[in-house]
Amino acid sequence: MTDALRRLLLTTLLATSVSALAEQTTDADGFTQPLERLKFNPQLDQREFERATLVALVNNDPWEEWNRRVYHFNQRFDEWVYLPLVNGYRFVTPRVVRSGVSHFFANLGELPSLANHLLQLQGRDAMTTTARLLFNTTLGVGGLWDPASRMGLERRSEDFGQTLGYWGAEEGPYLVLPLLGPANLRDTGGLVFDTALGSGANPAAAAGLTEQGTAYYGLMAVDRRHINDFRYGQLNSPFEYEKVRYVYTEARRLQIRE
Amino acid sequence: MPLASRLFALLATLWLGCAQAAVNEIDAASYGFPLANPFEATIATTPPELRPSLPDDADIDQADYSLRLRPRRELPDNFWPVKTLKYRLARQSGPAPLMFIISGTGAHFANIKTEELKRLFYGAGYHVVQLSSPTSYDFMAAASRHATPGISDRDAVDMYRVMERIRDQQHDLPVTDYYLTGYSLGGLNAAFVSHLDESRQAFNFRRVLLINPPVNLLTSVSNLDRLVQTEVRGIDNTRTFYDLVLGKLARYFEERGVVEIDAAMLYDFQSSRQRLSDEEMAMLIGAAFRFAAADISFTSDLINRRGVVIPPTYPMDEGTSLTPFFKRALLCDFECYIREQLLPYWRDQGDGNSLLQLIDQVSLYSLQSYLAGSDKISVFHNRDDLILGPGDLGFLRRTLGARLTLFPLGGHCGNLNYRVNTQAILEFFRD
Repeated sequence: MTDALRRLLLTTLLATSVSALAEQTTDADGFTQPLERLKFNPQLDQREFERATLVALVNNDPWEEWNRRVYHFNQRFDEWVYLPLVNGYRFVTPRVVRSGVSHFFANLGELPSLANHLLQLQGRDAMTTTARLLFNTTLGVGGLWDPASRMGLERRSEDFGQTLGYWGAEEGPYLVLPLLGPANLRDTGGLVFDTALGSGANPAAAAGLTEQGTAYYGLMAVDRRHINDFRYGQLNSPFEYEKVRYVYTEARRLQIRE
Repeated sequence: MPLASRLFALLATLWLGCAQAAVNEIDAASYGFPLANPFEATIATTPPELRPSLPDDADIDQADYSLRLRPRRELPDNFWPVKTLKYRLARQSGPAPLMFIISGTGAHFANIKTEELKRLFYGAGYHVVQLSSPTSYDFMAAASRHATPGISDRDAVDMYRVMERIRDQQHDLPVTDYYLTGYSLGGLNAAFVSHLDESRQAFNFRRVLLINPPVNLLTSVSNLDRLVQTEVRGIDNTRTFYDLVLGKLARYFEERGVVEIDAAMLYDFQSSRQRLSDEEMAMLIGAAFRFAAADISFTSDLINRRGVVIPPTYPMDEGTSLTPFFKRALLCDFECYIREQLLPYWRDQGDGNSLLQLIDQVSLYSLQSYLAGSDKISVFHNRDDLILGPGDLGFLRRTLGARLTLFPLGGHCGNLNYRVNTQAILEFFRD
């Protein structure tokens, strides 16, 4: 409540100060000349965009040729197999079922997440995750529903790649994994660990769900693509590979710092 | 009589408010758009609670289709995704009017703004076709004859051909009437497409809406080019602009404890201690457009084999790194693209010679009499749009009169998803 109030106050304050300023520069057509408010470098010749972008393009990608081939492979697979499957899945299942499936797999993912919170000595997050796991498995009927979020216990997922990063492990070279997409050497190791942990201590396996292997893992794969909004080509740039690499790398750094 | 009318004209010019009264001007007090800062509005757009409620993706019957328009164009293997042009069609179950939406500079048909407009029109009962901008990578490679975007009437011919092919491909779709809209550069494209339609008459658009279009193309691109020249404090040898912004984000996340990037986060971020200054936001917007400029320079050069960015016979396969060409292309802003590729190409076509002539020909000026006389066309614009310069709103006021709707705030397309605007958009298209 106070937070909302504070935000409202800030916006009003901002609005009044801006409109006072805008009035000074409004011309006869009613144009408020927004660029006049900015401080420009007097010669208009700074090269900060160029410099920053060139620095951002410096990266650890010694296997670029292989990575690019895998990237193309993934894009074709996505277009010809993966997305048609996801679309079919969306077509035949009602929304309740899809969200149940997503919650179910997300709930299973809380176990490795909990382990990683503990490994990073994040007591509070570990408690939150434990509570989520308990509530969602019991009240949420085996994780099909997410009552914990409604109680204000937000999901805090953490993977072993982040744990490794937390303890100072280097990222290693950038790596595009077949079917799984962008990663680096460290996160690939983390992924192997999380997968091993997930299947070793899998309540779904204990319940005998994984015996229908193809169906179980197939559904998991389809759900994973269903909840992922990324679409190849949507950046619509010949330099999509570079942009995805930069965003992946920086996003992981942010996640680890947080 | 002539004396009386002259006197009247004189009075009209003296009475400053008179010219403005003719325009459909939304007054600031009743408008209620919360972001008074045009840069904030451009980046964050409308706060979620003030957006209209729109149909969910799951409730829309839609699919992507592709067209093979340039079968004889030879592109290297690593450009296979753009050998066909894709578009998205959302179909109603029965006969309905069809809306074409043209995306803004460099934007894909699945750009978030195009998607939002699709959901708006679909919810109001239209079939909707989403189109990539003529300046976008896929359109240039797969649909454009000359792949040198910026010559508006030629871009319109390309776009028109795409639209006709779409109609052929979707011949079983029961369409009652055709409508057209576009935002940002897509608005300018829509004006030229509509003008072309007057002679070709393939669609006979009933109504055309231009949302935040550039008026003078050179003004708009030089404004955008200038945005990366703002003075940003805190940049030094070890810290680039991106580091600075990412650092702020990281500190913000540290303070809040959760990395949850969504629409609401942006407003919270801008009210936190880490908020971005106007100069930083301008730089961010400018950078996004510079990436679009780099894509245009590279793609145009690749297809036309000009050798400005990439050597014409450079051997390539799917493993070839494009980073060296990215580095070269990002040195080129919009004005550089005009100077190095657009203007020479245009001169070769024998359409004229000077830059001013080119700009006159490709801007809204060249359609002035058409815009003035065509009742089906309207323009929505904002008084604080970054892509405008002095005199641009004057041109629109004089040309469109009551068919110009002027919003007091919104920056560049930041109020496109504001409830008041979406309602006005639907109202305009309603018969």
